[in-house]
Amino acid sequence: MLRTKVTAALAAFLASAAACAFAVVFNAPQLLVHLDGDYLHVAAPHLNFLSGKPLERLKDGISVAFLGQLTISTVPNAVVADARSVARFALSYDIWEERFAVTRIGERLDTRRTVSHLSAQATQNWCLDNLTIDKSLLPPDKPFYVQLDLRTEDPRDQLGIVGEPGLNLTRLIEIFSRPAKSAQPRWLLSNGPFRLADLRRGIHG
Amino acid sequence: MLRCVVLGFPLLFLSLPPALTADQSFLRAAAESNVNQQYTIESILIGGVQIQEAKIPPTLRSRFVALVGERCDVARLQDLAAELRRELHLQAVSQRLLKGSQPGRVRVSFDVVQKDLSFNLSVPSIRYSSEQGASGELDASARAGRNTVNFGVLSIGDELAERFSGLKAAYQNSKLGTERLRFRLQFEDYQTERVDYHRRHNIAPQLTFVVARPLSVSAGLSFEEMKLNNGTSAAANAVTAEVHYGRDIEGDTIQQKFDGRYNLRAGTEALNSDYGYTRHTFSFRYEVKAGRKTATEELTAGAVSGQAPSFERFVLGSHFAPENTPGTRMVHNSMTYGYQFGERTGEAFYDTGTLGHTVRHSAGIAYRQGIFVVAMAFPIGEARFTPIFMAGMNY
Repeated sequence: MLRTKVTAALAAFLASAAACAFAVVFNAPQLLVHLDGDYLHVAAPHLNFLSGKPLERLKDGISVAFLGQLTISTVPNAVVADARSVARFALSYDIWEERFAVTRIGERLDTRRTVSHLSAQATQNWCLDNLTIDKSLLPPDKPFYVQLDLRTEDPRDQLGIVGEPGLNLTRLIEIFSRPAKSAQPRWLLSNGPFRLADLRRGIHG
Repeated sequence: MLRCVVLGFPLLFLSLPPALTADQSFLRAAAESNVNQQYTIESILIGGVQIQEAKIPPTLRSRFVALVGERCDVARLQDLAAELRRELHLQAVSQRLLKGSQPGRVRVSFDVVQKDLSFNLSVPSIRYSSEQGASGELDASARAGRNTVNFGVLSIGDELAERFSGLKAAYQNSKLGTERLRFRLQFEDYQTERVDYHRRHNIAPQLTFVVARPLSVSAGLSFEEMKLNNGTSAAANAVTAEVHYGRDIEGDTIQQKFDGRYNLRAGTEALNSDYGYTRHTFSFRYEVKAGRKTATEELTAGAVSGQAPSFERFVLGSHFAPENTPGTRMVHNSMTYGYQFGERTGEAFYDTGTLGHTVRHSAGIAYRQGIFVVAMAFPIGEARFTPIFMAGMNY
């Protein structure tokens, strides 16, 4: 009787563990890539960067700035990328309509594209869809890896270092000694290798 | 003040790291694109208290109150939050937008975090002039409640006829019974290379009474002793007084700043001083900003009577006094026009000054980014044409 109970408990435990493991694997953010016209686009169906502190700040009506970077390299985990593209997004949350708005801010601050009345998922999708890299920058005949680096810009980092009282060394020391992870939420996804010819044929990562 | 009295030219500085300034612009652009800007501010709370009743400086309060009924300018709210943090010496100020009493209206709530004890290490100024070399200062300060202690080391080559280097320390209490009364005790010890003395140290207690927010009156004493090169010492003890008026007026399209100051130092035998003298200094600065354009007018004048030690006399830079001899009378005027390109400002300036003899002129151009400036000044009407290069931070 006791043996039967232990076996049943063990089986239940193993089943739960397997289910959790499956869930983790299944839900792990995956970076998908595809070609659309002259640009390589990425998607990450299970990536949820509108969460935690950034989401709290958004719901307080504060703007949150995201910096996204796509890099292409011909070797995995390359320190120096062969090509890269950077995009800057300003997100805010309409406290009355309870919907998100996002603005992509170009290299020149007066070049902007804005969309509003978005759900959290649509906002994230819009950001990733607007983070592209020119097809001409992809290696034509070599396999390559794609990496997405997304992080929030912490406004505290920009305050108080330089101002009317001069250069504040205490602030500077604080910033360089602060663990990057806690100060700046960051998401890093990569996938590959891909071949340009495969992507042209519609084979997605 | 330093620019016109000491050098007679705008000083200026090195550029910020590009990435840093780009991030500041980006964060500002992010605030400016906030979707809640379409709503009207219904009320503002600071630390849970309605802004009209919040115990904050009246000028700052009036700026917050002016936002009620206006569109919710998130970038401006962030600026005011930063100012509130500085003015009240807070650790942090964060803001939240809450739904108002009816659709289209929002309430703004500022949450404040106080710090009872703080320590700061800063470089208030660092500058270089092709005439006077490099000058700079490193400051450490500790604050506990209303009490602040500062300690600094410095080497200055552009304030007096000779370079002086050394240390200074100060204790300040910003609330002596009442917020209107402040006390400061400063100690300075400088080494110099002069033919008459090589070291001087000063102990200067001072009381400041804030008559109204823009107007304050100070009175104090200065016990200054010089170690002479002949092995003896001399005292230059003085009574000090100052009246200061500073006011900012922020209009919808035009911002103006006024700053006026009168300073008196009188060496007297009653304080056992070896020098009997009176030194008057008056300065006035007016700045107006409209859109991308700025204009600044700065006037400084001073006069010394009696037998004053050399460090109490006036200098205006070698262009205005080719022999670099301190004078007993001084007038200096500087006009600057600036045009802003994003975070950068291009400036043109015209300076006029005299130490009681010939009136001299110079003109120049400057590039400014934040507190950093680089400038070139060109003497006018001189037989010898020697441009002066200046660069620095908070010059």
